[in-house]
Amino acid sequence: MTDHATYMDEVGAYLLGALTDAERSAFERHLESCPECRHELERLRPAAELLPRSVEQVEPPPSLKRSLMEVVEREAAPQRSRRSLGERLLDKLRPVRPLVAAGALAVAALIGFGVAQLGGGDGGRTLQANVNHSALPKASGRLEVEGDGQAILEVRGMPSPGGGRVYQAWVQRDGMVDPQPTFEVGADGTGAVAVPEDVSDAQAVLLTREPRGGSSAPSEKPILTVKL
Amino acid sequence: MQLVGEGDPRAFELLYDRHGSAAFSLAYRMVGDRVLAEDISQEAFLSIWRSRMRYDSARGSVRTWVLGIVHNRAIDALRRGSVHERRREEFEGVEERHESPERTDVEAARREEARSVRSALDTLPVDQRRTIELAYFGGFSHSQIAELLDEPIGTIKGRMRLGLGKLRDQLSDLAAGEFA
Repeated sequence: MTDHATYMDEVGAYLLGALTDAERSAFERHLESCPECRHELERLRPAAELLPRSVEQVEPPPSLKRSLMEVVEREAAPQRSRRSLGERLLDKLRPVRPLVAAGALAVAALIGFGVAQLGGGDGGRTLQANVNHSALPKASGRLEVEGDGQAILEVRGMPSPGGGRVYQAWVQRDGMVDPQPTFEVGADGTGAVAVPEDVSDAQAVLLTREPRGGSSAPSEKPILTVKL
Repeated sequence: MQLVGEGDPRAFELLYDRHGSAAFSLAYRMVGDRVLAEDISQEAFLSIWRSRMRYDSARGSVRTWVLGIVHNRAIDALRRGSVHERRREEFEGVEERHESPERTDVEAARREEARSVRSALDTLPVDQRRTIELAYFGGFSHSQIAELLDEPIGTIKGRMRLGLGKLRDQLSDLAAGEFA
């Protein structure tokens, strides 16, 4: 067992990137429970952060910026075209169901994240949700996954989540869940939310009821699950 | 920075214009090879772009954040490549660097800052300075440095901590100005 003094001695090595991966993980675990080591770390951090500034400035080759911007422009282009699809989706949804304010917010999220190809476009797929019918007797749901791993969760037959509460999506990966946007459903029980996180390597997308504003960890067991 | 997170290529270009030179310079200082330094800088900036990495203003300046990402990438490259073998042979020598001409006030200020940090490093006992440089710029782990210098690991770890402590005392004015 490594004692505190050993970790205290490693503060400098940690800041300089001189620990192995295993040592770094152990050090970070120790930091969580040791205010003394955290204090020493913050005391020395400014010195370590100034080291890269001692470097003599060398002009980068123009090819660096050129090739970077080529990639960036190419990758930004499809996102812009999907954004306009998002706007078309908004037009399509509007006459079908009047959106409550937060519902509109969920659609705004669709536009913002530029994922609105509901038909399952290039490499896309549609997955049906498993619903907890004791919590949601009439509900159904499906997840439209884009080829690039972005997804939209659509739900129907949903009751109101209760006063002061909203629905919130989650991405489950390696036994952990990451919070996604919250949304409300319309008077007809339908709603949709964009899942901005890449779900390509996720195990499931989950849904819970959370206090308005959303939670950082789910406050109940999932009431709807889409296994990936 | 917010706009880079939202996928705006112009915001990304601005980020590169401001910090690309410092990023490339750090990578070059670490690997000593322009082509590899270019690859590392490209990987670092693309990781910022692709993952929409979040910059946390509570953790210091944007430049510190970008340089931290470059440093990690360069260490990965050093540890997986054969560059270490070459660096091992030349670590005592001072390589000749070709500084780019000073073109703007910002660049002139950066050179002045670099000179201040270098002169603070020069005041450290030579063993501490060498240990810090081998770790930070050479990408060597503490045990590799212990082997290289034929010293116990505890001595190496101690030099790193003591050296950084001394640097911090010397640079506190500079650091305070930078993070303001």
